[in-house]
Amino acid sequence: MNKTIIEAHNLTVLYGRKPALWNVDFVLPEKQVIGIMGPNGSGKSTLLKSIMGVVEPTSGFTKIYDQELDNVRDKVSYVPQRQEIDWDFPASVWDIVSMGRFQNKGLFKKLTSEDKDIIADSLDKVNMLGFSKRQISQLSGGQQQRVFLARAIAQQGELFLMDEPFAGVDIATEEMIVELLKNMKNEGKTLVIVHHDLHTAQSYFDHLVLLNTRLIATGSVKDVFTDQILTDTYGGRLTTISKISQELENKEFPIRHK
Amino acid sequence: MTGIWDHISTFFSAENYTLFVVSIGSGILCLAAGVVGTFTYLRKRALIGDVISHSVLPGVTIAFMLSGMKNPLYFLLGAILSGLLSIWIVDYVQTKSKLKPDTILALVLSVFFGIGIVLLTKIQHSGNAAQSGLDSFLFGKAASMGMFDLQIFCVIAIINILCIIIFLRAFSLISFDENYAKGLGFNVGLLKSFIATLTVVTVAIGVQAVGVVLMAALLITPAAGARFLTNSIRIMLAYAGTFGFFSGIFGAFISYSGTGMPTGPWIVVVLSVFTLTAILFGKRQGVFVRIRLRNSNNIKINNENILKDIYKASDGGEKSLKIDVLIEKEKYLPGMLKGVLKRLENDDLVDTVRGLIILNDKGRIAAREVIRKHRLWEIYLTKYFQLDADHIHDDAEGIEHVITPEIEKELIRLLDRPTKDPHKSEIPY
Repeated sequence: MNKTIIEAHNLTVLYGRKPALWNVDFVLPEKQVIGIMGPNGSGKSTLLKSIMGVVEPTSGFTKIYDQELDNVRDKVSYVPQRQEIDWDFPASVWDIVSMGRFQNKGLFKKLTSEDKDIIADSLDKVNMLGFSKRQISQLSGGQQQRVFLARAIAQQGELFLMDEPFAGVDIATEEMIVELLKNMKNEGKTLVIVHHDLHTAQSYFDHLVLLNTRLIATGSVKDVFTDQILTDTYGGRLTTISKISQELENKEFPIRHK
Repeated sequence: MTGIWDHISTFFSAENYTLFVVSIGSGILCLAAGVVGTFTYLRKRALIGDVISHSVLPGVTIAFMLSGMKNPLYFLLGAILSGLLSIWIVDYVQTKSKLKPDTILALVLSVFFGIGIVLLTKIQHSGNAAQSGLDSFLFGKAASMGMFDLQIFCVIAIINILCIIIFLRAFSLISFDENYAKGLGFNVGLLKSFIATLTVVTVAIGVQAVGVVLMAALLITPAAGARFLTNSIRIMLAYAGTFGFFSGIFGAFISYSGTGMPTGPWIVVVLSVFTLTAILFGKRQGVFVRIRLRNSNNIKINNENILKDIYKASDGGEKSLKIDVLIEKEKYLPGMLKGVLKRLENDDLVDTVRGLIILNDKGRIAAREVIRKHRLWEIYLTKYFQLDADHIHDDAEGIEHVITPEIEKELIRLLDRPTKDPHKSEIPY
């Protein structure tokens, strides 16, 4: 197994009194594409947020490269869930992707021409260079997702934490993201992805974390992606019927075809 | 006319010292509120402006009760402290309870304002002679503005503008995507407190002039209008400041021209006119822009429909066509048809000669394009939505005008360049 990149130890996050994550323990290998999966409300996003320090764990901790987050922050890029954002904001695609350079620059230093090259290059990687002057309020869901990916790429980190990058995007974007993930993995990056769709899990990921508030299982896809474990994760409803309803749920995504 | 000019010349000659101070003071105050309020607006916290302005009242009254005199600096201090307390309570309750944000805002606003009114009434009934005029905090008393107020307004305006220029990157970042900012490692809590403090201080300073009831309008209204005019945050800030400044000046001027007309409310009325104008005429989703767009769409639809009819009735533009025949066949209103034909002729798509229509090459290509889009859409519907051939025509009648060249290209690729539509008609390429 590869070197450990993320370690979670007894991680517990409470929202009020309700546990969102409960005594979660795992180690994740670097240079892999790792899926975090589980039913709705199983704490997937909370897990990413507590790794990123966006929410404070109630107890337990996470470490990255065996260090506190603050020591390695410049290696970690976060892609928040795009639905949590109000996209009717006065900014262009370029403005948003520039935010990826703010960690390096701080809040006051001007962006250099090197920064601008990085921004342009990141936009190019997600095929959005032609949209750089476009207002973000005019983007489709898939384009919004690409902008967020470009912003994370512009940080030039080693570890990417992505919250549901495949949710509600069109097929072209989904294919593009899959291709991008493959390339990033080949460059030695580690990708941790919150994901919803069971029937693509095996083809997208090398390693899985299956959550249902508590950790159900973690390991390589071929060890973990078994009927028994999936049944445990999804509360015993993963019969043919619930596979079908999963299918239907995915079909509800608005932008499957243009 | 001379009456108005007299007003204006008196107004700007600065002979009338009070008026000069009041108008410039109002302008600068509104400018300060407009720029800082832009972020209140962008952070979707429009109602927080109301909460702050109503919540300064207990601070002001307690400051008076403790000091026993009407010292503006004490008032300011009390106002700032109770304003900050109100925001802190809103944030605290929000993280600790399951109450909806609007419920929390309404609760905090009414509780603070209620306490303020109780204390104010108590002071008024206390028989302390110094208290008279304290109720101006409710509706404001811009007319009593002095040179000292003007100086304070200038200071806060300069502070707001400087802070926003220096912290523009930080403020935009936390307004757009707070979690990402946290992930980058910035101290989001501190930045939020910073911008909240700027807002509270601005409100606390402005309340004496325009009153707690109207102060929130000075924060939010300029930004709401400015948003319709631009997609750039810098330009939006400039617009909001400008709207604020001129509303202050004009509001003061109007209240001066009439007798006994209050300044604060007039400022808000002028602001609303600015904002309404922006909503109507703004190039970003402005009402008139949308009406114009709808009209030009209608023109396009009419043009394309009639072009298509001419093409079909003239055997693909092979022969000429009598206008009367077209009217009879398609039941057009003759006047309407003539108008459309004139447009088509101007666009160099058809020629009309003595009641005969001839489609030229350019017109033929344009007509075939409309028919092609129509039929491609029909195929797309049958293939991807399992619709029967008799259910798709009406849909395609509408969508044929919407399909852009890019979408058409995509349809052709997706459908593998089909040759026949579901009704077995040829697709003209």
